[in-house]
Amino acid sequence: TMKKVGEVVLLWLLILFIHNAAGEGYSPPGKPTNISCRSPEKETFTCWWKPGSDGGLPTTYALYYRKEGSQRVFECPDYKTAGKNSCFFSKNVTFVWVNYNITVVATNSRGRAFSDPVDIDVVYIVKPNPPEEVVVNVTEDKDWPFLQVSWKPPKMADTRSGWITLFYEVRLKLENKNKWEEVSAGQRKTLQIYSLRSGGTYEVQVRCKPDHGFWSEWSPSSRVKVPEYFPQERSMWILIVVFAAFILVIFIWMVYMNFHSVKRYLLPPVPGPKIKGIDKQFLKSGKSEDIFSSLVVSDFPPTTSNYEDFLVQYLEVYVPEERELIMDEGKDLQDDSFKTENSTCDNDSGRGSCDSHTLLTDKGGGDKEDGQQSDQEGSQAEADTKSQEEALEEELLACSHENLQSSNVSNEKEKVKSWPSLFSPLPQYSLSPVNRPNPPKTGQQHCLSDSLFTPNSMPSYFTQPGPSTRKGFRSNYWECSFDHKQSHPLHPQSAAHEHLQAQNDLNTAHVDYMGAPLDVHVLNVRPSEYVEVQRVSVEDGVLLHPVSPSQEDSRTLSHQTEDYSRVRVVNNDNGLLLLQRDAIEEEKSMCPYQEDVVSRASITPTLQNSATGINIALPILDEMAASGYIDTATMFGLPTH
Amino acid sequence: MQQKSEKRQLGQRRNRLRTCRTDKRTMAQRRISGGKLFITVVYLVAMCRAVPVNDLLDRASQRSDKMHSLSTLLTQEMDSHFPPYGRMQMPRPADCHTSALQTPNDKEQALQVSESDLMSLARSLLQAWVDPLAVLSTSAITLPHPSKSSISSKIQELQEHSKSLADGLDILSGKMGPSAQAISFLPYTGGTDLGQDRVTILNKFNFLLSCLRRDSHKIDSFLKVLRCRAAKLQPELC
Repeated sequence: TMKKVGEVVLLWLLILFIHNAAGEGYSPPGKPTNISCRSPEKETFTCWWKPGSDGGLPTTYALYYRKEGSQRVFECPDYKTAGKNSCFFSKNVTFVWVNYNITVVATNSRGRAFSDPVDIDVVYIVKPNPPEEVVVNVTEDKDWPFLQVSWKPPKMADTRSGWITLFYEVRLKLENKNKWEEVSAGQRKTLQIYSLRSGGTYEVQVRCKPDHGFWSEWSPSSRVKVPEYFPQERSMWILIVVFAAFILVIFIWMVYMNFHSVKRYLLPPVPGPKIKGIDKQFLKSGKSEDIFSSLVVSDFPPTTSNYEDFLVQYLEVYVPEERELIMDEGKDLQDDSFKTENSTCDNDSGRGSCDSHTLLTDKGGGDKEDGQQSDQEGSQAEADTKSQEEALEEELLACSHENLQSSNVSNEKEKVKSWPSLFSPLPQYSLSPVNRPNPPKTGQQHCLSDSLFTPNSMPSYFTQPGPSTRKGFRSNYWECSFDHKQSHPLHPQSAAHEHLQAQNDLNTAHVDYMGAPLDVHVLNVRPSEYVEVQRVSVEDGVLLHPVSPSQEDSRTLSHQTEDYSRVRVVNNDNGLLLLQRDAIEEEKSMCPYQEDVVSRASITPTLQNSATGINIALPILDEMAASGYIDTATMFGLPTH
Repeated sequence: MQQKSEKRQLGQRRNRLRTCRTDKRTMAQRRISGGKLFITVVYLVAMCRAVPVNDLLDRASQRSDKMHSLSTLLTQEMDSHFPPYGRMQMPRPADCHTSALQTPNDKEQALQVSESDLMSLARSLLQAWVDPLAVLSTSAITLPHPSKSSISSKIQELQEHSKSLADGLDILSGKMGPSAQAISFLPYTGGTDLGQDRVTILNKFNFLLSCLRRDSHKIDSFLKVLRCRAAKLQPELC
């Protein structure tokens, strides 16, 4: 019996244990949530809920509702019609303008769960079915077809009696696109859609909404294909292309016809020097002696009667009295020179002859200003190569002048001052006192050629050398000339005079060869000092001898300066060419060469050396002589030897 | 703007109708010489342009639609700042001061009501809200609610619509017969004061708005049913 009792107890315990073990993991159901109700036609409505956890046990759901003003509780009449977890209220149990208080209860063997109650009024939850029988037609009009969309209200919605008022909306899109276009149709049941894509396929959908309610779902898509009604589209493009091509051809033809004028407009030619008696072909042939011989005029030095022959443009310079006084006093005329008004010409290389205009018109009282203007112009450096050439030529002249005359340091300074215009090929350079610093600064004792024609400096010749470079250049030049020339100290005034005279000589020489313009050019480069001495009478330009007391006439100088400025271009080219050639080819001290060259320029028929240099110069001269213009491009190409 | 212009037009037309009718009666009562009478009649006919009932009903239903939209917005605006707890504490809509009025509860009932009765119901409901709207309007100014200015402006707009609609319905009911002109008297007994404390005031306000929302929907529904019944010339509308 003890055993039996024990077994029974054990059995009970086992049963209890198993029972308990089986019972663990089950729990009451979770609360149903998200009760939402909808009525499609304001006559019936359906409520859905979201069940909670079922607690592991089979759970049943029940919906209970109460109508306002009554405590009576009803249960959902239909759980099936609307699907799972739903309750369908038929017409019999649906009342409008009555509040329903709805609660869903979840029940399982472990317990029950009540949802939160929801108050609804049927008239506020209307969501109709989508419109039906959506028909989309493409009209018969072949030229401009459009879509005719028609539909019917959903069956259940009674719009005929006015119980429900529906508003419709249509949307359509091309089949392969993603963007829908929506069109409101109001209460109408048809709609026309225009502006269709030719040959495109459209999808059309319709939906509706009651006056106070929710939008329905979109109806199923209705597809329709629009016929190709616009083949002209392609032909139109063809027409447009042909027309555009035609216009393009005409345009090209016009440009071709006016090519030269267009080219002249875009790349204005640079006026160059006109050199009488220079044969271009002759220059190319390389027979420098013959060329120079052509330059040599039989009746050189020209007498005053032949003056007009040499002068391209004749200027009379009027020198006021004051200037002479100032010059005598030795004031710093540079300031004056710098005070001169700016020339009316700009840096445009093609207007190098503008100087001449100014000078020509400014007879009498304008001599000094003209000369200053020419200086200014030189300082403004209209053309890169031209100014550079001018500078070189100036130096050349100065060097040669140095040979003739000795100049002291002060002269150098002044000359250096004048040089800036020469050495500043680019507009930025300006004759300023800053440029006055003494060349001795550089401390270089080699000749101009060295400084000028070092390989590095060669490119800089055509580029804008820095002011320091220029100064160095000048200083070198001066030093060189100084060394070579063994200049003796002179009074600034006299030195200037002498310098000027020498330059005058040179200028005259140039004038003889090239015409008066050369003188003008050389003088133009000199600043203040130049200004002082600018008053040179015309006759000086004609004089052959380098130095003569008569040449000290300021008038002459000024006159020469004016002339000089006019023909500056020519002079520059000439001087440039010569100098360049020497620099390029021979790296010896250029001073002697310069002298030689200058001497050559000074009418000495003997061409001692640098025939090559002349060769270089000649082509340029030839071109210039031929056309009277210097193409910037050509100018730049000249240096090549 | 559109509402105002429509309202004005409707009011003008109704005024004209009223004037026209009054004039007609006056003229008919007087004994005037034949010639003068003839001329007067011609003049009156020219003056009285017959406004079709369809058109009037259409405009009336548009007005009522607007009213209901406004009241819906109002309730939403009130609820936006109050959790549902406030709604639960609200008295049931069955206690609306217009609940005494017997109105159809489903579509079949509604479609069986005659046009005159429908019009009478609409007019009665409309008339019943004149006073409560005034109370709401004055209370909205000092309402302890963040959007009280917006609420106040909407209530004022509601009042204007209500007045204009009432005028229009007067004219309409005059065309429909004496039974359409009968108005059930539904007095508002809530008093001018909504309460003393904030909660009471807000609750009362919410309650009134919910009643208004339902009643405006009723009016709108009745008028739209009437519109479709009268729209024999425009079947596409219904």
